[in-house]
Amino acid sequence: MIEKESNKQNRFMEWVDKRYPWTDFWKKHLSEYYAPRNFNFWYFFGSFSLLVFVMQILSGIWLVMEYTPTADGSFSSVQHIMREVRYGWLLRFMHTTGASAFFVVVYLHMYRGLIYGSYQKPRELVWLIGMVIYFCLLIEAFTGYVLPWGQMSYWGAAVITSFASAIPYMGDLILVWLRGGFSVTGVSLHRFFSLHVIAIPLLLAVFIFVHLVALHHVGSNNPDGIDIKQKKNREGIPLDGIPFHPYYTVKDLVGVVVFLFVFCLILFFTPKMGGIFIEPDNFVPANPMVTPLEIAPVWYMTPFYAMLRAVPNKLLGLSIMAGAVALMFVLPWLDRSRVRSIRYKGTYSKIAIVIFVICFMGLGYLGHEAVSPLRTMLARIFTLGYFGFFLLMPIYSSIEKTKPLPERVTG
Amino acid sequence: MMMRYILAILVIAFTSSVWAEGQEIEGLQLAKAPIDYKNKESITRGAKFFAANCMTCHTLSYLRFDKVAKEAGISPDKTPKNLSFAGITPPDLSLETDVRGEDWVYTYLHSFYQDSSRPAGVNNLLVPNTAMPNQLAPFQGDQVLVTKPMRDLLGHLEWYDLVKLTKQGSMTPEQFDETMADVVNFLAYAAEPYREEQEKIGWWVLGFLVILFVLMYLLKKEYWKDVGSKDK
Repeated sequence: MIEKESNKQNRFMEWVDKRYPWTDFWKKHLSEYYAPRNFNFWYFFGSFSLLVFVMQILSGIWLVMEYTPTADGSFSSVQHIMREVRYGWLLRFMHTTGASAFFVVVYLHMYRGLIYGSYQKPRELVWLIGMVIYFCLLIEAFTGYVLPWGQMSYWGAAVITSFASAIPYMGDLILVWLRGGFSVTGVSLHRFFSLHVIAIPLLLAVFIFVHLVALHHVGSNNPDGIDIKQKKNREGIPLDGIPFHPYYTVKDLVGVVVFLFVFCLILFFTPKMGGIFIEPDNFVPANPMVTPLEIAPVWYMTPFYAMLRAVPNKLLGLSIMAGAVALMFVLPWLDRSRVRSIRYKGTYSKIAIVIFVICFMGLGYLGHEAVSPLRTMLARIFTLGYFGFFLLMPIYSSIEKTKPLPERVTG
Repeated sequence: MMMRYILAILVIAFTSSVWAEGQEIEGLQLAKAPIDYKNKESITRGAKFFAANCMTCHTLSYLRFDKVAKEAGISPDKTPKNLSFAGITPPDLSLETDVRGEDWVYTYLHSFYQDSSRPAGVNNLLVPNTAMPNQLAPFQGDQVLVTKPMRDLLGHLEWYDLVKLTKQGSMTPEQFDETMADVVNFLAYAAEPYREEQEKIGWWVLGFLVILFVLMYLLKKEYWKDVGSKDK
């Protein structure tokens, strides 16, 4: 009986495989994709990012069913979702918590790449495509934040679009083009809605796919930063490699449950995170006549916002902010180290990464707080630290003494 | 024109300005609102008090009145007039506790004091020069500012350090505290009517995830039995 069943299944798969490379695909990307067996805690965050992306798409689909993207209807349609739509509060909090969770997991995913040198040759394109995803994500988050049309949505949009006006000569023209008028209006809201639900999610889906194609072409890095393809057995399988499926699929499932536990803890008990995930001012409907006391972006953009505020000149500030993001893009070409992983890099790299983390988190904190002379001073120091980490990397990564690499992966 | 607009935004964004209404009092701490989301009776009492005393001016536009009526016994003939007072429209309060916080509302309701320089004859510690008349005076009584308030070691002040009751209203201070807690509880409900359901479902979801974790962990352990030794 069982034999008969499996026979039937085989014949079905044969039929499919003659017409579509399903089995090939399955083998290439899952059952015969050999991942290093020493993945640690940091390697969960790629899967988590994909999970959050799917959750955002799903909750988003249902939110759009009840949301109204007009200046008159937007704010109250969100309240309609929260109050009258069955489990509407759940959908919306999933989406708002998901937005912050997306950045948490993506930042940790990027940090993993940073400490284990996952951007180094031959994975430059994996990193570069990842950075494109991160950039899309920033735009996606910004356009999404405008949609509830609260005070922070409105004034956040006003401040962020006003950046365009700093561009020499064309600035004012670009500003009007972005906003669809001389100030932020319902027209701007409507176009941000379009970008948020169609354009950027499509781009994200495409780039996530391309990111994975690039990764599976070169193979995954690991905490030791050594190439597992150097040592293969007779069948050509890396000695330190294990099939992604089932080993890492079941391992990731454990991680996913832990992640969902933390996610649900926030979602059901403190979805506003004390004003960090949803700012109190955004419960006031957008009012072009009244400027809020403090206009601060949501936490995931505050490091860059702090850099902007630390510089007295607007154009220079914006250039610094753009430069900070641009430096992340070119990271693969700044690192001249002979080894990938922080485990075998020298003292300079280790100190540099500690300084970088302090500066980035410090800027994140400062961008969230009101300005004071001391904070501006600190923000300037942290900005220097941030740029120093990247710009001095070609020097400190090449002159430092590295530790010898192991033959096989450890741990 | 454009540049001036942007400049205005930047000036406001880059300088810490103060509320238009006046200077805030340094070191003033918010009193903790002693409320319980699950206490239906308190919410109901708060709703009744709100309907009788606040709804003449304040709306609760996002709270469905049929929902309130069902849970608190408010009839639709009490719908708010939302009259403008001295040129200022009283704000809608359906999201007030989300905007200001429960403790803020609780403290605000407590901290009116006599001030003859104001048109309504009263002022407030949290919102100096507030436009709101003291609708609560008949219950709380009259309060006056203390000339030299006692600060604690950190320089902090509670609202009751700053004012003293000169004439008690129809309620004792304890009764007034309770009533204000009910009102804040009701406003918290008005802002987040889903909250009770949210937490109830939350416990079930977390419980489910704990069980799922055990299963997934055992599954992973089973699969990973044969990974581990370096030498294959």
